[in-house]
Amino acid sequence: MTVATETRKAPVMTDVLTLTSPRSDLPVRRTAPSLPLLVGLEIRKSLSTRSGKALAVAATLLGPAAAVIASASSDEDLGSVTGPLSVMGLLTGYLLISLGVLSTAGEWSHRTVQTTYLLVPHRGRVLATKAVAVALIGAALAALSTALTAGVLATMVDGVSWDGAGQAVGVVVAAGAAFAVIGAGVGAALANTPGALTGLYLVLLGVMPVLSNSKPELAEDLDPANAVLHLGMGEQGTQPIVVIAGWVVVSTVAGWVLTHRRAVS
Amino acid sequence: MIRVSGLTKQYGGRTVVDDVSFALEPGTVTGFLGPNGAGKTTTMRVMTGLVPATSGTATVGDRLYVDLPNPGSVVGTLLDASAVHPGRTGRTHLRLLASAIGVPDSRVDEVLGLVGLTDAARRRVGGYSLGMRQRLGIAGALLADPPVLVFDEPANGLDPEGIRWMRDLLRGHAARGGTVLLSSHLLGEVEHTVDRLLVIGGGRIVADGAVAELLGADGTVVRAADPAALARALQAARFHVQHGSDGALVVAGAEPAAVGEIAATAGLALTDLRPQQRGLEDLFFQLTEAAA
Repeated sequence: MTVATETRKAPVMTDVLTLTSPRSDLPVRRTAPSLPLLVGLEIRKSLSTRSGKALAVAATLLGPAAAVIASASSDEDLGSVTGPLSVMGLLTGYLLISLGVLSTAGEWSHRTVQTTYLLVPHRGRVLATKAVAVALIGAALAALSTALTAGVLATMVDGVSWDGAGQAVGVVVAAGAAFAVIGAGVGAALANTPGALTGLYLVLLGVMPVLSNSKPELAEDLDPANAVLHLGMGEQGTQPIVVIAGWVVVSTVAGWVLTHRRAVS
Repeated sequence: MIRVSGLTKQYGGRTVVDDVSFALEPGTVTGFLGPNGAGKTTTMRVMTGLVPATSGTATVGDRLYVDLPNPGSVVGTLLDASAVHPGRTGRTHLRLLASAIGVPDSRVDEVLGLVGLTDAARRRVGGYSLGMRQRLGIAGALLADPPVLVFDEPANGLDPEGIRWMRDLLRGHAARGGTVLLSSHLLGEVEHTVDRLLVIGGGRIVADGAVAELLGADGTVVRAADPAALARALQAARFHVQHGSDGALVVAGAEPAAVGEIAATAGLALTDLRPQQRGLEDLFFQLTEAAA
């Protein structure tokens, strides 16, 4: 029996077939990456995906856009800018939570943690740099967003008081950093992007408002949104700071503990 | 030098890797063979610190992987080629890795060229085929030109041309003094690439040796126009004859020359005469059945 053979050219992939000569001249760092380098790397990672870029743009523009709509549609006397600045800053913070979640849980969801921990095996070090990175991004975007919101208020609203605006801006910038870190902590704890986002928004936007209606005293002790508004509108006192710090610490510790126990598969 | 000693990994009560020990020498390509679920991937993940060992150690140059100051400069690892963010471009992905490892950005374009992804470098990884992701993973592992390469099923998704390229790459790496561990469940895929075989089945190492040593077997396979007559002649000469497939006779402990001589003396026409060679598949089933 004769077997018909077809002469076929192998797929052409000439560039694949070249092998580089040994690279004795390749400069490779032999030491561990420095913390600033890792923080920079994490910032680049967060902002190099479409979802990251989209969130950064949304976090920057949501507050000012809402301020434009509110100013154009309302004739009420605002009294002070601290209210609108705090509320818009809180909206920014809600979006920055997602940015934090993506930086940690996103890595587990896309399984890129594998590469991350292959290159930097100390998970605590990775988490610390992620927390610093999202805090810096959060603060920067919150600052930019608040500056734009302030610009909107200055041009569109007349006769409003700017007393306390400095504190409001400071609170909003710090809240941006804090909310992003909270997101990163919860994301690291749950290692699942949809789970972490759903859980956080359910608690912050669902449970907390219900709680402030039914048990206002308890809500005062738990709701980070209330805390931001209180601080932003000039309230002095440590309780709101303790509430926000509590969220940051609890989520970060949970993320740290659970990340160390988890096998990378 | 990679040394794995007494490595055991249990998940719940299930032992996935069972007291695995081996050492990898510079200048060699070691094939890590076993069926899916035999424990290859888990062993490699424990070696690279991704999964904690239940007991035992794996060291790279006398250090645990997690204690290497910059592990990416020492071990180039390819585990799961799809573990890349689909939203980044191939080049962005590699640039991030290059920063973490500490090699210049120019090296990214070099490795992209090396694996043939230059034209796809600006496309998002989400649009890559499995073979392209595999090559992107190999590019990432080669960034620092590290002395050790640990590749889990690197031939997955590669076309024949790509597999041949990878064979040359790994052989070249070993020829330069590099150490290579390469896993596969397709035995034929690695036969011509590796110097040494580590065969794993059910979490245990069932064979560890040079390819020639494991595959070589003394014996002759012979076919004759009249197999029954040849069998009688061979048995008369006190050879042990087994009936193989398609009428072939397998004569243990015999050189082909001796078998040919007996056939000539008996006046029997032969249609095939060659030394017996165990295929990797045969070897593998023989070993893993013995272990089971």
